[in-house]
Amino acid sequence: MEALLNAKKIKVGDRVKITKAGAAYEGLLMPRIELGDTSSFVVKLDNGYNMGIKFERGVKIKKLGGGQKIMQEQEKEKTSKEIIFTKSLPTIAILGTGGTIASKVDYRTGGVYASFSPKDIAIKIPELKEIANIRAEEIMNIMSEDMTPECWKKIAGAVAKEINSGERGVIVTHGTDTLHYTAAALSFMLRNLPCPVAVVGSQRSSDRGSSDAVVNVACAANFVANSDVAEVCSVMHGSTEDDYCLAIRGTKVRKMHTSRRDAFKPINDLPIAKVWWKNKKIEITNQNYRKRAAGKVKVDDKFEPKVALIKCYPAADPAIIDFYLKNGYKGFVIEGTGLGHTPTLGKFSFLPKIEQAIKNNVPVVMTSQCIYGRVHPTVYHNLRELSKRGVIFAEDMLPETAYVKLGWVLGHTKDIKKIKELMLTNIAGEISERTEVEAFE
Amino acid sequence: MPARFLKGLRLKLLSEEVINYKKLKLLCGLEIHQQLNTNKKLFCDCSTAMQEREPTAVIKRKLHPVASELGAVDVAAQYEFLRDRTFNYQIFKNEVCLVELDEEPPHPLNQEALEVALQIAMMLNCEIPNEIHIMRKTVIDGSNTGGFQRTTIVGLNGRMKYKDREIAITSISLEEDAAAIVKDENGNITYRLNRLGIPLVEIGTGLLENFSPEEVQDIAFNIGMLCRSTGKVKRGIGTIRQDVNISVRGGKRVEIKGVQELGLLARVVELEVKRQLSLPKVVEETRTVNEDGTTKYTRPLPGSARMYPETDIQPIVVQKEFLGKLKKNLPELWTKKLVRLQKNYKLSEDLANQMIRSDYLELFEKIVGKTRAPASIVASTFISTLKDLEKRERVDASKLTDAHYADLFVNVAKGKIVKEAIPKIIKFLSEKPHATATAAIKYLDLETLSAVELKKIIDDILKTPGLTYEKSVGIVMSKVRGRVEAEVVMREVKRMLKK
Repeated sequence: MEALLNAKKIKVGDRVKITKAGAAYEGLLMPRIELGDTSSFVVKLDNGYNMGIKFERGVKIKKLGGGQKIMQEQEKEKTSKEIIFTKSLPTIAILGTGGTIASKVDYRTGGVYASFSPKDIAIKIPELKEIANIRAEEIMNIMSEDMTPECWKKIAGAVAKEINSGERGVIVTHGTDTLHYTAAALSFMLRNLPCPVAVVGSQRSSDRGSSDAVVNVACAANFVANSDVAEVCSVMHGSTEDDYCLAIRGTKVRKMHTSRRDAFKPINDLPIAKVWWKNKKIEITNQNYRKRAAGKVKVDDKFEPKVALIKCYPAADPAIIDFYLKNGYKGFVIEGTGLGHTPTLGKFSFLPKIEQAIKNNVPVVMTSQCIYGRVHPTVYHNLRELSKRGVIFAEDMLPETAYVKLGWVLGHTKDIKKIKELMLTNIAGEISERTEVEAFE
Repeated sequence: MPARFLKGLRLKLLSEEVINYKKLKLLCGLEIHQQLNTNKKLFCDCSTAMQEREPTAVIKRKLHPVASELGAVDVAAQYEFLRDRTFNYQIFKNEVCLVELDEEPPHPLNQEALEVALQIAMMLNCEIPNEIHIMRKTVIDGSNTGGFQRTTIVGLNGRMKYKDREIAITSISLEEDAAAIVKDENGNITYRLNRLGIPLVEIGTGLLENFSPEEVQDIAFNIGMLCRSTGKVKRGIGTIRQDVNISVRGGKRVEIKGVQELGLLARVVELEVKRQLSLPKVVEETRTVNEDGTTKYTRPLPGSARMYPETDIQPIVVQKEFLGKLKKNLPELWTKKLVRLQKNYKLSEDLANQMIRSDYLELFEKIVGKTRAPASIVASTFISTLKDLEKRERVDASKLTDAHYADLFVNVAKGKIVKEAIPKIIKFLSEKPHATATAAIKYLDLETLSAVELKKIIDDILKTPGLTYEKSVGIVMSKVRGRVEAEVVMREVKRMLKK
């Protein structure tokens, strides 16, 4: 099929006529969508529909006209990175890291392409012009699941650069799946933060009129421009309706639903603010937050990436610890059951492996797969067995946050005593001493 | 239902003057939307029953302008349009889930719906794509929570015989129905989400040239009947909707949307022709139909819809073996069925014509096959008895189940009751649907009298001296009505008087 197209100098986007068993179809030749039948032509008919025509004996294709160009790579905007609506408005920065939030759709192929010009963003989110002037830049284009600690460092650096050059606040757009890991990483890496940083994603792609990106970015812009919260927060839909977003502390947020708009929930904490979309009201819902202040942010991004996050479950194989130790891992976060258990009986017992790790100066941090609630080192005998061996019970810290924090702590010290001390010190709101009743709904 | 069809067929031309449509070069195009009666929706596992009356919740949403090849101007216009619009979506138990709420990606395409749609495409002699691609058609009136409707082509370039001509079927698509509008209060628009996602087949004809408005209506009827012969389409108001494009004298095209009553179509076409003739200049526009067949302006004719691939669902390869199997099991064409009804069941042409349009067609065939009750009695029960009872005695026949009818006609077949007893039994069952027909017969004392019993009654009456034949029959009938057929009474009275 490819050979035939090459021989006839037919390219994707050309207008073609395909004849087959007496029937003839005219339209634009489309690129193949993954996983379709690779031996079919895909044609966009004049009525707008696509259909596949199997390439087999007797099928003929003819080029009728030179093609329209099918958008296949990012359209680079050559205009300035800044857009000023009104001199009196504050200026905020929007940094793109990938994901579908600020992307353009090629309506012929359905492909989604990153487009991060301030102009495009302003067109997409018209209310921005009433909120702030914007500087926009795409600093990377990486899907959520492909983020790494190196990416976090790069983002932290870029955010700090914007803040230290005087922007009122910064929005980081991000894929949603690991948005909460990045939010936690930024919370630890950005020391002495003087202003808000919002990490924002969208659960509905931006080609559709129902995309949540508009409300999320508008609320985030309002939040970073006008709130006095100097923390890294996620700003995403707070309900399934298009009414408000929640600003949730970066170390206390987790994606709790695969697809809903209101997937992001505060865990063991109250949201810091409710940001209303239409009337732009910012309602503080948790007085416990760091306030906006003068000063420069300092990036502290020393990080040890060799940390493993392990989940315990009935009959889990403790040999997984050996695997990681053999591969030079420097720390473990365990997502234990209930209050922080691992199996302790016979060949399934984690106790000997954990003991061995800690003896080798590899810290083991305990969190809970319940997600909500606090772990406890002494309620049950088996918990005491773990605690006795030096397992660090990480209070009400999220497993994901503990994973990021341990990497960050190990970037600073390998001393097991110091590690324990730092892990149990509240550095970026990751530990709450007391839990409000309303924090579990 | 039959009444709705007939009303239209009987419609007379509105004016005395006869319009010469041929001379006017009347051009029409039909687009018929028929809901499919599958268990589940097209892209999720919700019920398509639409039985729920009270919403369990209402969700408020907004739609936003979408990026466009047309650039900033178009987006600005959309922004103006959408700015003051809020959409309230009603949620119904079992009939709405996260998919309709645009909170979960679509499930795989409903296989049952695809099969019915492909059957219809084959019956209309369409070319079937080798590979089916689901598309998103941008819709920003709020009737789709996502801002687009999912649709796919299942057939192209088909044709259908009509009288001695051939009607071109341009395309057939399978798509999700939109949410139904409940009310619009200054841009605060409420939709019922239970209709969203019900499988819908859209059938578009080529240009219909040289047909009268009645013929255009009849063509729509033929297409509707063809869909119905699959046995898998929904029935009742709102389940079939037709759009019609009309132009005269090679002039501008006007699209009339949402004709829900087929019987109104001829009148809509005729009134639109008159409207166009009365204008100095016809403007291309979309109009919606009113109850009386007149229309009102809705908006300028939209440009071609923006469509792009639904990337959440992979293209579906239509295997030859699969198509072959469907082709083997194509339902009987309704025109053939009509002939068969007359032949096999010895129904009159008129009764067969009514039966084929009836909601009870399937039940009729099932009952006659199973109970061996006389077909003409079963047919006239479904066609005229029920209608009479509904009209004259306000009987709610919808209370009766298939089992009621089966039981009723078993009794007819066995000679336990005569046909005169049927209305009384149906009326009784509509009021006490928990009873069986057999129990109703006992309770109402409607069992057929034996010859001996009848003879005894007649004997008693004839003892009175001086009775004429007519008078005797009258008295006997008053005693045995519904338990003996009138002809039998007359025959017996005559015979016994002669003695």
